[in-house]
Amino acid sequence: MNVLLFAGLTLRELIRRRLVAAVAVLTLVITAFTGWGMNRLATAVVDGAPLPEPAVHAAAAGIVILLAFLFSFVIALGAALVGAPTMAESIANGEVLAVLARPVRRAEIVLGRWLGTLAALAFYVAAAGALELLVVRGETGYAPPNPLLALAFLCAVGAIVTTGAIALATRLPALTAGIVAAMLFGLAWIGGILQTIGLALGNARLADAGTIVALLFPSDALWRGALYALQPAAFTAAAANVNGSGTGVNPFAVTSAPPQAILWWAAAWTIAVLTTGVALFRTRDL
Amino acid sequence: MKILVGLVRASGGEAQLLGRPAGDRATRERIGYLPELFRYPDWLAAREVLGFHARLMRLGDARRAVDAALDEVGLSDRAADRVGTYSKGMQQRLGLAVALLGTPELIFLDEPTSALDPVGRSDVRALIERLRARGTTVFLNSHLLGEVERVCDRVCIVDRGRVVAEGSVDALVGETRGARVRTDEGWREYDIAHDEIPALVARLVAEGAHIHAVEPKQTTLEDRFLALVRRA
Repeated sequence: MNVLLFAGLTLRELIRRRLVAAVAVLTLVITAFTGWGMNRLATAVVDGAPLPEPAVHAAAAGIVILLAFLFSFVIALGAALVGAPTMAESIANGEVLAVLARPVRRAEIVLGRWLGTLAALAFYVAAAGALELLVVRGETGYAPPNPLLALAFLCAVGAIVTTGAIALATRLPALTAGIVAAMLFGLAWIGGILQTIGLALGNARLADAGTIVALLFPSDALWRGALYALQPAAFTAAAANVNGSGTGVNPFAVTSAPPQAILWWAAAWTIAVLTTGVALFRTRDL
Repeated sequence: MKILVGLVRASGGEAQLLGRPAGDRATRERIGYLPELFRYPDWLAAREVLGFHARLMRLGDARRAVDAALDEVGLSDRAADRVGTYSKGMQQRLGLAVALLGTPELIFLDEPTSALDPVGRSDVRALIERLRARGTTVFLNSHLLGEVERVCDRVCIVDRGRVVAEGSVDALVGETRGARVRTDEGWREYDIAHDEIPALVARLVAEGAHIHAVEPKQTTLEDRFLALVRRA
């Protein structure tokens, strides 16, 4: 019950501080821009003839993947810059002191802040993602193979970064916790690239280094899930071919869906890190 | 104080609150707490801050409890305004309203008047006296010893984490002797008990002195505090 109260407080704060309004306006601008670009693509004339539909769809698929990549960065930054302050600032400004003098468990505050941040992110991913994909489909007729799964994976990326940011913010100032969480997301992405290169070149050490990073901060493994769900079969086949030749790597393509084990690991990681955050907050003198 | 309300873990010893170990969750339903340094979210209205706390306390008639707390601290007129528009003194009064919410048995006030002007301080003193009259125990932490002397029944002086004196204000201050008398010749001091002052005045008048003023010497809690702390 208290968890929902804190989650509600977090959501109310995002609305009152006009973050929701600002993000909504920017999302509409980006969507309009995407729509305009897709319209130009669908109506493009090359050598006196309109682009054939397969070419339009292939180009749209590539653009959707790049948009999703940008989107994953926005989600990660949003998770870090919303999650960390929502926890750390309530400690720093003393707001939490009077709250904890009530019959409230410290875990309820951590979980409530986490849930509130995650709910906001999930709403953003669902609304903005659906809007973008609908515009792409409306202008070009292209729809990625598994858009709902892709949005779910993008939410999961946000969940990983939110979890890290909030756990860090139980002990660190908002700025530090937010930036560290965002940097861990970046590190995980680089780890994923290293893993891809390592696998392509048959370099086990490089691939292992990437795997270790993916285990420490599993956001990139989930981003790859989103990528796979957005990738047309032709892209997957091309990625497998490139990797097989060992002559080049495309960081925006994967050869397969993330293994079940890494998804379970991401879930276990979330629970473990959140539990650690609760323990850190419970043992903190305020 | 923070150990008692469960915000800081004790490094040693034992602390109990209302018969239960300090920090016990159920006991926290029966207390109110005004922290020394705090800021409520500036985007919430005072009524919303109190409403949130009322839900955390699971108060039955939350609206009435919130209205009563707002009324008690004189914030009813500004209840719908955002905390961000409040002066420091108003924020302090909101903090007091949060501490008073749900008529707790025991209220902890940590430096409640430190940010207030003389009118605000007087209001807080009057509030503490009302709470005392109602049978609520108020645990006041303050460095303003004049204020402590005026409102507290029992005082505990803590120096570097150790209790150096404890008891009623009268017992702590002890018996005060001495008086100053101003006559045509100026001020003169007498080492006598306070109940001997009328006899002294009568004798001086009988001797033909013109008395302009008589001041019994007062030892304050601050004098006592300084003596204890400096001795330590």
